[in-house]
Amino acid sequence: MMDLLDLILQPWIFIPLIFPGLTTAFLVLLGIIWAERKIAAKVQMRYGPLYVLKPLGGAIQMIADLLRYLFAEPIIPKDVDKLTFIFAPLILFGLSYLPTIVLPAGPGFTAISSEMSLLILLGLLTLSPVFTMILAWGSNNKFSLIGGLREGYLVTTYEIPLFLSALSMAVLYGTLDITAMVEAQKNVWGIFLNPLAAIVFLVLILISTSKFPFEIAEAESEIVMGPFTEYSGIFYGLVMGASYLKLYVLSLLYALIFLGGWYPLPSFLQNPPFLAGIMVFVKGLVIMFIAIFMRAIYPRYRIDQAIQIGWHKLVPLAILSIFLSLLVVYLGGV
Amino acid sequence: MAVERVFDHLRAIATGAKYLFLKPRLTLMYPDEVEDLPRGYRGMITYNHETCISCSLCAMVCPADAIKMYLPKEVPEGEKRPKRYPGINYTRCIFCGFCVSICPTFSLQHSTIHDVSFYTFEEQIFRPEEFAKGPPKPQYDKEPVKVRVIPDEERGLRYERV
Repeated sequence: MMDLLDLILQPWIFIPLIFPGLTTAFLVLLGIIWAERKIAAKVQMRYGPLYVLKPLGGAIQMIADLLRYLFAEPIIPKDVDKLTFIFAPLILFGLSYLPTIVLPAGPGFTAISSEMSLLILLGLLTLSPVFTMILAWGSNNKFSLIGGLREGYLVTTYEIPLFLSALSMAVLYGTLDITAMVEAQKNVWGIFLNPLAAIVFLVLILISTSKFPFEIAEAESEIVMGPFTEYSGIFYGLVMGASYLKLYVLSLLYALIFLGGWYPLPSFLQNPPFLAGIMVFVKGLVIMFIAIFMRAIYPRYRIDQAIQIGWHKLVPLAILSIFLSLLVVYLGGV
Repeated sequence: MAVERVFDHLRAIATGAKYLFLKPRLTLMYPDEVEDLPRGYRGMITYNHETCISCSLCAMVCPADAIKMYLPKEVPEGEKRPKRYPGINYTRCIFCGFCVSICPTFSLQHSTIHDVSFYTFEEQIFRPEEFAKGPPKPQYDKEPVKVRVIPDEERGLRYERV
């Protein structure tokens, strides 16, 4: 029994399986969608989901929804490309939480200890939108096709500034290892050293996970559900959950490279790394909260407006943030 | 110009945050709370068979053809020209109240009942015999609290127990 516990607490099992991997990602998925509905409802003077476990304000609504997705019949239309229609959602969901394997849960507690972990994470992040486009093409539906094309336009919009703003922090800390980047923020958090990159990255989280005001690919009032129009049952649950998982990964990354990771936790509490992991998780939750809070405030941008924001504003700002990092390094660094 | 836009965004977020933490909620918790309806509310229609003179003005005036005149199901023996009486089809009724206004003997009246559901299409057609029994009563699990709606400058709407 103790052997099993020891095995699970090994970082190369714990990180993909428990935190920040599968188990936590799944619980966050259940919690964050409920929170999104509750927050949007509260701002709009409603109650939101309430009657599933009323004393806790409908807290297990998403479990009820999950059961519904599991037991609903997944309808596979006659004219779709069956292979892509079935496998693209699975790969999309898997790739969406795959980047968690390089995230450190505490000082020295990593599954893959690499000097290039930030690059690995950014590389893995670019894989999932391809499958959104593939399943949109395979659905053989005009709404899906339009949604997939919008997703494609947005990928060209957000990836360059996303990488530039993340790499500007690498320039600032002088390393590409996420653990070392957190250690470099021991005294001052990255958000105070390079606020420009922090703002750009936060906006790009909204674009890349299609949250309001950039919920353009899925635009329910225009193109039904965008790339996911033809999906039902558990497949719909997977494709809908994928963007929330991506939000989860990017929020944890934001907490690690901008919000100081497990600092300001004093060093004698950092080992064993449980408190450090909780610290990172709470900071990630704050970022997720901000991202889903936008649903209650903003309407949706048009696709051309979003691309214009990406290329005219965010790319120059991301390049500027690299120069800001260089300036900080020139003035003395971290 | 650009700075103003940044402030606009911040103001929008601040407004959202204000509503997130303030407590105005306009939801009427329907099955537990029921609105106390005002006089003159145009709900489902009650029909008094005793005072009806079978004039068919209601069927004539009905703009949605919801009210029609029906022969009784069992014609009494020896009656050569049985009278027709009004029945209502709630799938067609638009609750305009013309029939109530035009009825010369006040046999048709509005009730305050409006929250009734039916399983089938046919159940919503009330022949004169069922029409005379009155609209079906809404079924609640427990007795609902009656509340009155009061417009409020700050909160939008308030609910006050009657």
